[in-house]
Amino acid sequence: MEFLRAGSVDEALAAARDGAAFVAGGTNLVPDVLFGRKKIARAVDISRLDELRYIEEADGKIRIGALATVTDLLDSELIRDAASPLYESALEFAGPLVRNRASVAGNLMDASPAADLAPPLLAQDAVVELASAEGERALPLSEFFLDYRKTAARPEELMTAIVIEPLGAEDRCAYYKLQLRRAMAIAVLGVAVALRMNGSVCADAAISLGAVAAVPYRAHAAEGHLRGREIAEAEIEAAAAAAAESARPIDDVRASAAYRKKMCGVLVRRLLRKALGMTQGVVA
Amino acid sequence: MDTYEIKFRVNGNDETLGVRGDETLLRALRRIGYVEVKLSCEGGDCGACAILLDGVAVNACLMFAAQADGSEVTTVRGIGTEDDLHPVQEQLIEKGGVQCGFCTPGIVVSAKALLDENAAPTREDIQRGLAGNLCRCTGYKKIFESVSAAARQMTEGGDS
Repeated sequence: MEFLRAGSVDEALAAARDGAAFVAGGTNLVPDVLFGRKKIARAVDISRLDELRYIEEADGKIRIGALATVTDLLDSELIRDAASPLYESALEFAGPLVRNRASVAGNLMDASPAADLAPPLLAQDAVVELASAEGERALPLSEFFLDYRKTAARPEELMTAIVIEPLGAEDRCAYYKLQLRRAMAIAVLGVAVALRMNGSVCADAAISLGAVAAVPYRAHAAEGHLRGREIAEAEIEAAAAAAAESARPIDDVRASAAYRKKMCGVLVRRLLRKALGMTQGVVA
Repeated sequence: MDTYEIKFRVNGNDETLGVRGDETLLRALRRIGYVEVKLSCEGGDCGACAILLDGVAVNACLMFAAQADGSEVTTVRGIGTEDDLHPVQEQLIEKGGVQCGFCTPGIVVSAKALLDENAAPTREDIQRGLAGNLCRCTGYKKIFESVSAAARQMTEGGDS
């Protein structure tokens, strides 16, 4: 395997023209190469590109540089205050040794159905920015995941930033990762909810699910039961049922498909209640 | 096969070596004698290969050696010496936080990194700080007690 360290974004893009794998933290890619799950002719090391490592507020949005690490998310007051589901997902992400290296963009580019950061980023309408020697483009994260471990990024494209809509003080949100232990676990199910409130009315609703389909996704039918309404028991039950209905999970070593599907409904119900401060029956 | 000459400092020693592009930092370190960095799962699950890379605790198995070119690496041997143990090392011995010892180098690295950031960790802080390190002998209780005692020793000082 050829190894090349890029000194700048332009150098990285030029090196990738004829096809290459970008390596940042390496926490997914390195063992994939070691165990032969991925064959790579040329790796372009982007881990020293500090210009891609930042978390900032710009034009009313939160911009996360591709190389911000999961630890950087935990160290950011902006993320804690205005993207708390993302903050909570970072807390449940692997362990400190991995969080110190793993980049936000890497978690998305790996395109695991169980990518921990995907549901909270989807819930805040994330847009990903991709660059190649030919130019730049942006697309919603909801259109980025195409199929199991398949993304819309072309082989020569580098993810440079992830942009999300901050949550305001009035907005309500919650996150939960269902897992077999509290560390180093692949999610059985990941759920994020974000409700944009206008007084007592839910002006916009986001419910996103991970590890219950080939890709992490927004449960649009479930959201439809909440958007534009005052949310009470009936709306929550309808949204929970629609979320469970939307799930297309598989059986694997962590859980059965039937359990995952049922838990989609259970967790969406719990998280909506938690987000709205409805104490009765809150467990998550 | 492409090979690359890299330079880094390990525990204060300047090292120059040739590596294959796909050689992991863990394998390269062990190849030049730093066998205190343990090879176990090689998938980032166990933390036995934890090192400090420019002061940050990471798994040496999860990066290519070439990515460490120009870096400062600290292994467990660079954290205290036999004559002058780090409080974490001293307390692991004192409290019986070591059985087979295979996970211990990684535990020491993670615990040092935790205590450098948080001088008075709670039990949950310690559990979270060591969440990436597996031990299959002790059940963790004595390890957590060791780290807790090391924190007290470091803040109270003097009695080491």
